[in-house]
Amino acid sequence: MTVALSDILIGVFSTTLQLSPFYLFAGMGEIVSEQSGVANMGLEGIMLMSLMTTFVVDYMTGNPWVALLAAIGVAAVIGALFAFTAIRLRMDQIASGLAIYLVGLGLSFVIFNTVYPSGLTPNYIPLPSLTTNWNVIPYVGIIFLKQNVMAYVSLVLVVVTAFFLTRTSLGLRVKAVGENPKAADNMGVNVNKVRFLATLFAALTFGVAGFYFAGNFVPGFQTDVIAGRGFIVLAMIYFANWKPYRTLFAALSFNIVYAAQNEYVTLSGFGVASVSTLFNMLPYVFLLALIPVFGRKARVPKFLLKPYRKG
Amino acid sequence: MRANTQGLRWLRTTAYNAFAIGLGILAGLLVVVYAGGNLGVALSSLFLNPITLSGGVQQIFVRFILFYTMGMGVGLALKAGLWNIGAQGQLLIGMVLVFVAYSFLAFLPWPVLYVTMILGAALGGLLWIAVPTILRVKFGANEIVVTILLNVVAINFAFYMLSGPIKSTGTALGFPHSVELPAQFQIPNIVGGFPITYAVPATIAMGIILYLVVERTPFRVKAETVGESHETAKYAGISIPRVMTITMLAAGALAGLAGATYLMGYRYELDIGSFSTNYGLVAIICALVGRKNMLGIGFASFFFAYMTIGAESMALSANVTTYVVFAMEGIMMIGILLGNYLTERKYAL
Repeated sequence: MTVALSDILIGVFSTTLQLSPFYLFAGMGEIVSEQSGVANMGLEGIMLMSLMTTFVVDYMTGNPWVALLAAIGVAAVIGALFAFTAIRLRMDQIASGLAIYLVGLGLSFVIFNTVYPSGLTPNYIPLPSLTTNWNVIPYVGIIFLKQNVMAYVSLVLVVVTAFFLTRTSLGLRVKAVGENPKAADNMGVNVNKVRFLATLFAALTFGVAGFYFAGNFVPGFQTDVIAGRGFIVLAMIYFANWKPYRTLFAALSFNIVYAAQNEYVTLSGFGVASVSTLFNMLPYVFLLALIPVFGRKARVPKFLLKPYRKG
Repeated sequence: MRANTQGLRWLRTTAYNAFAIGLGILAGLLVVVYAGGNLGVALSSLFLNPITLSGGVQQIFVRFILFYTMGMGVGLALKAGLWNIGAQGQLLIGMVLVFVAYSFLAFLPWPVLYVTMILGAALGGLLWIAVPTILRVKFGANEIVVTILLNVVAINFAFYMLSGPIKSTGTALGFPHSVELPAQFQIPNIVGGFPITYAVPATIAMGIILYLVVERTPFRVKAETVGESHETAKYAGISIPRVMTITMLAAGALAGLAGATYLMGYRYELDIGSFSTNYGLVAIICALVGRKNMLGIGFASFFFAYMTIGAESMALSANVTTYVVFAMEGIMMIGILLGNYLTERKYAL
């Protein structure tokens, strides 16, 4: 059986557009947070909690929008807790981030397992596609119209974040407290308040990313279901030098590589699983290869990971 | 006077750590009791099962070796301010190399092959961490990001090796796994039937040697200065790339070595079940609880080996998922960091 090249390309592009928003939501939040000087390594833990909340609330209410609100709410609570430990208590951000990850990894499954001990759940009701008859336009329809609205919200968020960081006074203050908190403080900026807001914003985007994961990546909740994809966001924004549009590029190219190898592995139907796992490494190796190329010029926010104490 | 303050400080830290660990245990107990478990059964499972259950003592020492060996590596890199989040990846590569050596160097005479398998595992971990080390030292690329990426690559690579080059040919069905190491390649027990292998005293001896080499020489000051401030290190004439390279490569080699002792001393075969648990994160917790001290990490590792087995047994006793142990570890970690904060605040100038 031969498969038309156009079908392959459609498959690759529609998968890319379907998967990238997860990285974009989380990436924009982590950019803002890290620009302010706070790195949240616990992002995958927060996402796991939001993802679990999404499924449970969706099953119970049948309404994905309510699930989205609940996912954001859970993320906000954990994010505020992280912000308190990292900013107010000046804890080591990496250590407390990893602790948040461990709590999220464990607690998400403990709660899910308590609510659905047998693992049998109702059907997950996803957000609808942009239009129900996305079939009407050939090629374009399946790539662009089959996605749900959150995919486009993520693209808008990239534009908004870029605008926010370069053109608004709050955005400039965010960068100032990450670059030189002392000077910002002298100029009358409340350093820790700005950092708290940036960290909280990041947590909200992790909540949305966790919500988006449901349906688009997996049909249901399992243990450790995000499987490191949250941590990949850290690599993406690092490679993108904390720039929103470059993160968009990183996310799209990572997912094109992912989708292409996925399509190839599926089509060639390797009898043994062995070769396919080598291909699975490609998107990650691709990101790694970019680090010496682009990461070389990386300009890390000067006070990233450094808590600020007034006076 | 100073010694007195130091003693008080140590006492305070210990008290806070105990409190933090108690907090984590309490959280686990709450979940278990909420799920309908009996409090008495839960408590006895937590504290007594690790030593009373059959195979419990063996498990304690297997994990102790894993956590201690990997934790020393993590702690060593942490002294120089470097975060090795990729100990799990290095461990996996170490495990794979044990079988690569076993399968492809089978022509070597027994004692040579035996040693090669162990050193091969350490070399595998070292090569795996060489990538983030080079990227860090030469290009200034963040080691956290690179070690995280390499963890994913390591899992895929190990899976590839396991379903191809080092797969056991005898098994057509089920998940891929390697052959089982024959008795002459297993690390023997010290006393006949009592399941504590020579790997235990060897690991403790290695810990003491590393303590003497790292903590009792100027190297500690060098590494800690680099970890504290690159400016100061430069001013003091310390070679920053050298310190970074040594600590990172040692961290990788130790994590790889842990793969050899785990496989040759306990598991004897590699399957995808070995990939699932992230021991690398527990190693980080042990390094932090042991305050990056090569002996301190040993005590922390023994404690966490005992605690995780007890907690898993407690979860099973009430039919709760063992994932509760991760949450408990996370809560303990936050509590320990909180304790550090309170101690620092008390004694900060």
